[in-house]
Amino acid sequence: MASRANLFAAALIAPLLILVVASFIVPLLVTLYTAIGNPEVRATLPRTTAAVRAWNGEGLPPEAAYAAIAAELAQAQEGQSIGQLSRRLNFEQLGMRALLLKTARASDHLAAPYKDALIALDARWGDPELWRLVRRNTSALTSLFLLRSLDLTLTPEGTVAQASKDDAVFRALFYRTFEISFWVTVLCVVLGYPVAYTLSTLPQRWANIAMALVLIPFWTSILVRTTAWFILLQREGPVNALLQALHIVDAPVTMIFTRFAVYVAMVHVLLPFVILPLYSVMKGIDPVYMRAAASMGAPGWKRFLRIYLPMTMPGVAAGALMVFMLSVGFYVTPALVGGPDDQMVSYFIAFFTNTTINWGMAAALASLLLIMTGVLVAVARLIVPGFGSAAVRL
Amino acid sequence: MNALRQKSMAIAFAGVALLASGAAQARDLMIVGFGGPFQDNARVALFQGYSKATNTPVKDDVYNGEMAKVYAMVKSGDVTYDVIMVEAPELVRGCEDGIFEKMDWSVVKKNKFIEGGTSNCGAGAVLWGVTLFYDPAKVPNGPDTYAKLWDTKTYPGKRLLRNSPKTTLEIALLADGVPPADVYKVLATPAGQKRAFDKLDQIKPQLMWWKSGTQPVQLIASGDATYAVGFTGRIVRANEGGSKYPLLWKTLLYSVDYWAVVKGSPNAKEGMKMVEWITDSKPLLTLAETYAVSPANKEAAANPALSVKNPGMLSSHVADGLFINTEFWVANGEDLEQKFNAWQAK
Repeated sequence: MASRANLFAAALIAPLLILVVASFIVPLLVTLYTAIGNPEVRATLPRTTAAVRAWNGEGLPPEAAYAAIAAELAQAQEGQSIGQLSRRLNFEQLGMRALLLKTARASDHLAAPYKDALIALDARWGDPELWRLVRRNTSALTSLFLLRSLDLTLTPEGTVAQASKDDAVFRALFYRTFEISFWVTVLCVVLGYPVAYTLSTLPQRWANIAMALVLIPFWTSILVRTTAWFILLQREGPVNALLQALHIVDAPVTMIFTRFAVYVAMVHVLLPFVILPLYSVMKGIDPVYMRAAASMGAPGWKRFLRIYLPMTMPGVAAGALMVFMLSVGFYVTPALVGGPDDQMVSYFIAFFTNTTINWGMAAALASLLLIMTGVLVAVARLIVPGFGSAAVRL
Repeated sequence: MNALRQKSMAIAFAGVALLASGAAQARDLMIVGFGGPFQDNARVALFQGYSKATNTPVKDDVYNGEMAKVYAMVKSGDVTYDVIMVEAPELVRGCEDGIFEKMDWSVVKKNKFIEGGTSNCGAGAVLWGVTLFYDPAKVPNGPDTYAKLWDTKTYPGKRLLRNSPKTTLEIALLADGVPPADVYKVLATPAGQKRAFDKLDQIKPQLMWWKSGTQPVQLIASGDATYAVGFTGRIVRANEGGSKYPLLWKTLLYSVDYWAVVKGSPNAKEGMKMVEWITDSKPLLTLAETYAVSPANKEAAANPALSVKNPGMLSSHVADGLFINTEFWVANGEDLEQKFNAWQAK
């Protein structure tokens, strides 16, 4: 009987389990793997891989490696698989793409001995550094994408070095992402707390109306709300018109494509995520505690600090956590109303996924964002009161 | 193993899109473009024109030029697009990656295209370009060269450029006095790249950036920007709607959009035939009746009636312009994108 009940229970949760595995665990693992996978050289140049692996890395590789790469590049060109290989190596070192394509194109005219023929075609084939680069990329895994995502780079000797100042983007990008998310979270809590309190104390009829005012924007698409802010904040938009009509400013203020616009739009989009959990926590607080504190002679600020605030902390923590996690992954809002130095990590993940089709970089940035956010939240749980129970209250 | 990995990777990156599109099955020929007024008019003149002429059902769809979905389609083997419009660097890259079929030049007549109008995997559809423009109502005598655009004393106000190193770095070098013929030679060297970024530094506080092609006209109209470099098609369209933006052909940078057939398409053969039909001068001239098109077809482009009727036709002005070097951007794009991002954040 018991086992049949168990089977029944398992059947009930099976769809959920399959959904979680298929839509969360598998993509997550694939993304983590994509961040460190290095399949291009091995897949496209299998014989070259074998030949350079047999070589000890000193001087130049044997004739077999030259013969293999000449033949395999020609094949890759014909079979339309040279693109991924050449882009992958070009990402490692500029100019590799042109060299590989040139070699593939010339391969019809090449003849043994291939070592001399390739070096005659382009002197770079006689450079041991280049061959060591190929050899290094015959390994199944690479740290390149993760290092690049932290503005680090691999030297030809295989040691880690700082990226040049002209290429350094990503550390500042992660810092900016967490900075914006932090301030959005703080603003949401500061603005959302009194709203939630007011909602929880209003008579039922008014509370319903006020709640609708919170929920209707919440149910509206993020894109629509962000576009609305774009229209409001533009140079000849209503906000500037109002400021000028009230003689607060003489000339229109540039608000669109600034950090200010990003904060305004993100706080507006995310505010309900802090109001709703706070409201549900505040509704559950029995007013008798506050009355008891008052009867013992505690003044209003003390009643709030000692009684009410600690009791609402789980709501603050739940709301803040949700807002922070959502902010970290924000894409549409900064992309539409922010300038180039207001973009967050997601913008670059989308950029590498869609525009340059460098899924290794996209996956590396995503993985690092996941890890950093996880660490921050874990630390916050340890040091912020009420955070531990946040997950339960969600 | 590798195929399996690629397959799961593709699913991870575009799972939702593909789940929605369902399993591969016999279906109508699907042609995909960038949307907008071009596609609205091409739907009648080209797509339905072909459909009627050959009695083949044709459907069309819109994408925004992002190739990730097409890569995911090809790698998962569930190809729902047959013929697709692509920009030149994406075409070259996709061809090397096996995302597009090689053009069958026995079906598509290669000699009917303008110079640069054919590629291994693509047949030229239309020319596109960007030029400098401004609102003469607000600026009676605006800058008409890129060198003058850098003169912030004579021409105060915000300058709106494309949020991409592509076109922006070329413009910086042109403004710095590099002859058009040497732009890519200079830009290929680290010293030339530094020169371009240094030039941009001179007016960095006055620069704004657009991401979507609709923005230049919008932001000039709203007054957020005073001068902009935007797609000529959009400028012509705005002028048809009553604006009076000048078309400064001396500041033209241009390229070609191509038709390509997606690799593994169940309708690949039919797709090639359709590409042949929609790149012919007759349907293109029909399209020109309703839409200011700049065809990559020699005969259509040379038609005198077309260039009189269509003031925005690029093919009459290419002698003044700079052809955006596809091969340069395929080879250096990713590196320069990163340097551009780093420069913007500085």
